[in-house]
Amino acid sequence: MFAYHFNLALRSFRRNPGITALMVLAIGLGIAVCVMSLTVYHAMGSNPLWWKNDRVFAVTMDTWSPSEPYNDEQPELPPTLLTYKDALAILRSAIPQHTVVMYVAGGVLSGAPVETKPVRQATRATTADFFATFDVPFQYGRGWDKAADDNKTPVIVLANDVNQKLFGGANSVGKSLRWNDIEFQVIGVLKPWRPLPKFYDLNNGSFDEPEGAFVPLRWAVESQAEVWGNMNCWKSEKLDSYADRLQSECVWMEAWVELPNSAARARMLAFLDTYANQQRKFGRFQRAQNNRLTPVDQWLADNQVVSNDNKLLVGLAFAFLAVCLLNTVGLLLAKFLNAAPMSGIRRALGASRRDIFLQHLTEASAVALAGGLMGLLLGALGLAGIRGLYSGFGDQPSSYELLARVDVNSVLWALGLAVVATLVAGLYPAWRIGRLAPASYLKTQ
Amino acid sequence: MSYEIRPILSALLRNRTGAVLVALQVAVSLAVLVNAAYVIKQRVQFVNRPDGMATEEIVSLRSTGFAKDYDYLANLQADLQWLNSLPDVLAAAPIRNLPLSGGGSGTGLYTQPGEKGIDAHVNYYESDHRTIEALGVKLIAGRGFRPEEILPPTKGSEFVPQVIVTKAVVEKLFPGQTAIGKTVYDNLGQPAVIIGIIEHMHGAWINWDSLDQVMLLPSLPPGPATRYMIRAKPGRLDALIPQLQPGLVALNNNRVIGEPVTQTVVKARSYLADRNMAIFLVAVGLVLAVVTALGIFSLATFNVNSRQRQVGTRRAIGARRSDILRYFLVENGMITSGGVVLGCALALLIGLWLSSAYDLPRLDLYYLVGGVFAVFLLGQVAALQPARRAARIAPAMATRNI
Repeated sequence: MFAYHFNLALRSFRRNPGITALMVLAIGLGIAVCVMSLTVYHAMGSNPLWWKNDRVFAVTMDTWSPSEPYNDEQPELPPTLLTYKDALAILRSAIPQHTVVMYVAGGVLSGAPVETKPVRQATRATTADFFATFDVPFQYGRGWDKAADDNKTPVIVLANDVNQKLFGGANSVGKSLRWNDIEFQVIGVLKPWRPLPKFYDLNNGSFDEPEGAFVPLRWAVESQAEVWGNMNCWKSEKLDSYADRLQSECVWMEAWVELPNSAARARMLAFLDTYANQQRKFGRFQRAQNNRLTPVDQWLADNQVVSNDNKLLVGLAFAFLAVCLLNTVGLLLAKFLNAAPMSGIRRALGASRRDIFLQHLTEASAVALAGGLMGLLLGALGLAGIRGLYSGFGDQPSSYELLARVDVNSVLWALGLAVVATLVAGLYPAWRIGRLAPASYLKTQ
Repeated sequence: MSYEIRPILSALLRNRTGAVLVALQVAVSLAVLVNAAYVIKQRVQFVNRPDGMATEEIVSLRSTGFAKDYDYLANLQADLQWLNSLPDVLAAAPIRNLPLSGGGSGTGLYTQPGEKGIDAHVNYYESDHRTIEALGVKLIAGRGFRPEEILPPTKGSEFVPQVIVTKAVVEKLFPGQTAIGKTVYDNLGQPAVIIGIIEHMHGAWINWDSLDQVMLLPSLPPGPATRYMIRAKPGRLDALIPQLQPGLVALNNNRVIGEPVTQTVVKARSYLADRNMAIFLVAVGLVLAVVTALGIFSLATFNVNSRQRQVGTRRAIGARRSDILRYFLVENGMITSGGVVLGCALALLIGLWLSSAYDLPRLDLYYLVGGVFAVFLLGQVAALQPARRAARIAPAMATRNI
């Protein structure tokens, strides 16, 4: 029966190729715009560490000024960054399975065999647990162990592209390399790793590339490596030396913990609260108690990684789809009514209302499916256009190169929206035609 | 001349579905187009704000000293001397972070010591005696820094004896007064005298509401990394850019000399998201208008096709072609009007929601009025061809069986 209905639909398309093309185009455009905006929206809002969402948490504490919140637009949130001394306090806690404390340091890499010129390289000054907490994949070697955090072993981990540039992609583990004119030993090389968004540091460009080199935090602090990330200060205090900065109320450090279960999470929160209360005795933490352990998905939401513009564009896309579907309902109805005498004949020859309804719904589905495929195609073209709009402004490839790409989700959305289109645009016209009394159309013939 | 509104209305009411569908399309399109146009206008204005600088003539590059024995100040002097000696250079000055780049430093300024009096947030830039010329900003009062006034890099807790600020800072701190010679205080209560006022200049963060509050300090940026902001002589930028990197490398190779970046690119990068949002909205808005017009066109065509006999009959009993043309245009106008009424309400609702949920300014009603006219015109244009086809229907059609 379906094959028969499909055959009838094809005949009907051949009768009015213009209107059919118009309907497919309308649905296609509507779906294309939706697929484009949803693809970018979804890629921006995705959680690159979803499998650890119940284990890995950003640590924040409200050490900010008593007279104003850190962020006027979200007064309920503590600063996204920590002071150095509070970060160290978190590092000393034995409760977490893993603790990451870090900042972005300025670095210059020199003394490499392939690229012999010194290279400026943003460097993540962090603790040993960085790699295990965020499941960072290694190509060669490994990260450093906790002992290296404490005894200042000069070891460095390189990102894949940096190893490519400096060592020609060879296994550089054990080779020496100078970082800020200090002799380091390469201990590991990462596989290509590009979490999008860059969830572990949303302070400096949510979709930036990860840093190209990783060194133990103590090396960066003791060699007084420049802070390349954000640093925000509220207190009027003397900030002449690096030591002043380490003692100050300026926030510039990031901390993450991995906690295996909710009991550990509760213990950690209690630890933070106790610590903050102790600090209050020294006149610090003058705001209301607001210490948080934030899972990655909430962290992305709190930091508004998906911009308002992207949300607006999704809304716009669906309004556009609505117009396209209204258009299609009108066209389908007109087309079906034009061909009503034929349905009259079919009814008179014994087809049931249900047959007529199904026949027309099949036709609508075929239009919507073709529209969905066209939408996917136009959507892919549109995404290529978006990538083009964002490229050509800098030496780094833009993050839209990766964000605006057709993926499995795009295909699913196109198909899902085609089904929605069938139901929204096809049901009513098919039902109207099915309901017509055959006699009135046979009479005039 | 009558527009035969009653008979058209009763004909419409007998066959409502198509008309309702088109009216709904018109309503949604109007609501979306009006709000999109308003957002586009804001973005275009935002992107095209004057920044006060000679942005098209400026290129910058970075020198990063890293070796333990790197003499930052000696290199800085040598670099600046060489850069300013180039025939294509108008002025070159050191700068820590680039204006409009999204990276910079900010602090609070006060009219009284002890963080009291009126306060202003300012972007500040360490600078030397050539900075004003290198930026291409316009001094409207007082003077620039003299070479002998430029201090070596200051410690965090040190302030400077004199500052130059933008007019926006003056208007905030000393409204309605002459500010030259006035004293301002930093957050530690240390004083500085305003010796010059810049007409207009943008700082680091384009989305910051204090973007035009900028202060120049007569002290060199802290090393050992710095940028050089280099303004080319008119028309010489392209010739200048390739000379920069090799020249600085030749002066001292034991450091990292970055790629030159034009200030035009820096600015474009910062405004990219806003520019692209405007482009998306224009593109989707245009396609939406076309789809709506096609909807109106196809309904009108369908109506004409299914009423050939009625039209023929009207013609046969004396209606002129212009009557038929008018009939279909008035019918279309009535459908569009229905959609427009609904669309206005919808547009206002969306505008209200946008302004509350996304902090956008409230929809300007002129845009709604303009949108109504545009959509009405769009409807008439889309219906014109089918209506003219109807007008050509021969009276003989009345006698044919279709």
